[in-house]
Amino acid sequence: MEPFHYLLVLIACLVITAPLEWVIGARVYRRPRRLALTLLIAMTPFVVWDLVGIARGHWDFSPRYTLGLDLGGVLPLEELLFFVVIPICALLTHQAVLRLGARAWPRGRLAREARELGATRPSTAALDQEVGGA
Amino acid sequence: MPEYTLLTLVAIVVVVVLDLAVVRTRLLATLGFWLALAIMWGFQIPVDGWLTRLDAAIVRYDEQHFSGVRIFLDSPIEDFGFGFAMILATLMVWTVLGRREPMTERSTTT
Repeated sequence: MEPFHYLLVLIACLVITAPLEWVIGARVYRRPRRLALTLLIAMTPFVVWDLVGIARGHWDFSPRYTLGLDLGGVLPLEELLFFVVIPICALLTHQAVLRLGARAWPRGRLAREARELGATRPSTAALDQEVGGA
Repeated sequence: MPEYTLLTLVAIVVVVVLDLAVVRTRLLATLGFWLALAIMWGFQIPVDGWLTRLDAAIVRYDEQHFSGVRIFLDSPIEDFGFGFAMILATLMVWTVLGRREPMTERSTTT
């Protein structure tokens, strides 16, 4: 199992955060185009940073705990997946916080942020209230 | 200053300036961001620890290229700055891309 150590922790991250999408209703996986673009734009500098770190000898990866599929001979596949998995977890967490906050306190600060950041659909109860009250 | 330390500080400054002054997503001024960050940092302790714990390190850091300060499960303290920058960058880009999504229902109902 040792070669799977890195891959398994990434899978665990995805499994643990999955209910944020499918139970709490964060809409991250259901916006695949926006998600893909976000990952591409936001993570490119960090992958470059990672490669610089490897090249400069800041860190390296244990062959014992990785699969041995090193992209370009330097970047373990798991390390690239890290830059897919962790941002997904961050987006799910943020969206879930906004949605749960908006649900618990419909007139609260998180509800306002959820509307401003588009975490809740414009047709949700909060907006109905807003429009109805106007 | 060790290079990883320096790069981490630069990354933090860059994402903060982008959020507050350039892209003006102003996530740093929202409660939701800080709550999400606190949760993410909480989970970073075991996850990053799994990668860095010295008795079975997956990622191996050269002591001379970071501050030498390891916290929780042997994680270089810089990792938490790396995480902060990564999380803020992700939420920032996601938010900017969302601006372009049409808010049709909203603009037509009024």
